[in-house]
Amino acid sequence: MSRGGEPRGAVDASSRVERIDAYRWRVPRRGGMRTEGLIFADQELMAGLVDDQAIEQVANVAHLPGIVGPSIAMPDIHWGYGFPIGGVAAFDASDGVVSPGGVGYDINCGVRLLATPLGIADVRPRLAALMDALFAAIPSGVGAARSDVKLSRPDLDGVLRDGARWAVARGYGRDGDLEAIEANGTLPDAEAASVSDRAKERGKSQLGTVGSGNHFVEVGYVAERFDERAADRLGLAPGIVTIFIHSGSRGLGYQVCDDSLQAMLAAADRYNITLPDKQLCCAPLHSPEGRHYWGAMNAAANYAFANRQMMAHYARGAVAQVLGQTAAEGTRLVYDVCHNIAKHETHDVAGRPRRLCVHRKGATRAFPPRHPDLAPQFRDLGQPVLIPGDMGRCSYVLLGTDGAYRETFGSSCHGAGRRLSRHRAKQLARSRNIPRELEAQGILVRAATRATVDEEMPEAYKDVTRVVDVVHAAGIGRKVAQLKPIGVVKG
Amino acid sequence: MSYRFLPHTGDVAVELVAPDEAGLRAAGIDALRELLVGTSPVREVVERPIAPQGRDAGEQLVRFLEEALYLYDAEGFVPARGSAAGVLGEPFDPARHTPAGEVKAVTYHQAAVRRDAAGLHVTVVFDV
Repeated sequence: MSRGGEPRGAVDASSRVERIDAYRWRVPRRGGMRTEGLIFADQELMAGLVDDQAIEQVANVAHLPGIVGPSIAMPDIHWGYGFPIGGVAAFDASDGVVSPGGVGYDINCGVRLLATPLGIADVRPRLAALMDALFAAIPSGVGAARSDVKLSRPDLDGVLRDGARWAVARGYGRDGDLEAIEANGTLPDAEAASVSDRAKERGKSQLGTVGSGNHFVEVGYVAERFDERAADRLGLAPGIVTIFIHSGSRGLGYQVCDDSLQAMLAAADRYNITLPDKQLCCAPLHSPEGRHYWGAMNAAANYAFANRQMMAHYARGAVAQVLGQTAAEGTRLVYDVCHNIAKHETHDVAGRPRRLCVHRKGATRAFPPRHPDLAPQFRDLGQPVLIPGDMGRCSYVLLGTDGAYRETFGSSCHGAGRRLSRHRAKQLARSRNIPRELEAQGILVRAATRATVDEEMPEAYKDVTRVVDVVHAAGIGRKVAQLKPIGVVKG
Repeated sequence: MSYRFLPHTGDVAVELVAPDEAGLRAAGIDALRELLVGTSPVREVVERPIAPQGRDAGEQLVRFLEEALYLYDAEGFVPARGSAAGVLGEPFDPARHTPAGEVKAVTYHQAAVRRDAAGLHVTVVFDV
């Protein structure tokens, strides 16, 4: 760390990497690192990392007790807190740790993709009305809340226990939706009782809201297909209009993380854990603190699944209102992924199956074809991996690969990755009108505040095509289709 | 007592400088207020006490700011100024307060208080 106060063993900001091949870089083991780091990037993406602390954060994660394999970062890696964003780390399920900072505050932040039955030519003439309807139907912005969804405490406990299944059972969606959600939208280890009253208070009126920051609802269309057979199987015909939803567990998840950090900081001495960054604090998986966090984290993840399920329901309502009931009935869920989560999974390590706790912070599970955890409809394809880019360029749909399973504990990237700080983006946007610029490109923006749009301007992000090309070339994901935006709702 | 925003790619980093820990808390509230409601004027109508928690000065500062954030997020209490016992402020009023952005949390990343000739310094990273 470049600033004072870190214990011995920390890797300083002058850390550099060693190139392994065109898409892989090693962070050599040094100081208190228990393993080396492995970063996926090409030369240009790596050049963008040398001036900040993202590489150092990969090294810091390698200090965590019980880490198995390297501390990994995806090509969309950027500087976060504790773990880098785009980080993946696995820990032995028996004697390893769980780290709330390795999941992040927005537990089960993730992405959901819907495909309508309509082509862009059908939708373009009604696009403004569709964007208005989506903006009205899905509350966005700071502190967004719903007045039409009042959750009693038993209801909220049901959300925490059953996730998307709770929502579908109450009419927010269809049974078939659940098969197209990672883990079918319900994580069974959830313990509603482990979620504090403060967290429940923060989350009770936010279900079905997108929030602010980099969260969005985006309308796009299938612009290019790289694997026609797979794209057809996923319902991504050429020119078909799609709806991306990006959000997570809202204030409830933030509070679950914060509650657990406090408990684990207090327990660090008891478990004799010393780390280069307090935000990496952790506890043994089977300790009281670890078990408590595990139950609460899974419950918050279920809240996020239910949140995206409800937003998809409201999006179908907006489609029905503007494009007709038939269009809404034909709007199907392509897939829903988590990209801030920790999960128990079995992976081959040194030729033997080993039960691990895999942390993905800004990374997407990318299981290969034939993996038993995939729903039958995806078993021969591999897991769909949804990669939203910035609101001006494009997004991608990928599939999981055997390469990802071998090299990254079945993980791939999660987005473009920020390039500019929010402060710098706002400075650059001050003399411009970003919504008007996007409109000139045929992209309509509906936003609660101008500040969020400015912070999220396309130039604030890396080029997602470059990120995805690295993933594809390195074999940790396989390109299926590119989507281009035509409208976005921002908080 | 002052605060200034530092470059940070993913989130928002703020450097706080003050002669003492009470000053750091006050500077932290000023930074948090700017992140939450920008330049909207906030009146000092009510004082909400915040009990000190945490093992060292850095943790205590993060916990203090986290509590102020909770009051805003869960109860709509907008912070105006840090006080000796907690935070002064008023209920959110959409006619006078314009939300500037969402702050998810106050992190412990880099939050180590250090002293030099100018006083106490600390960097606080807000997850936004």
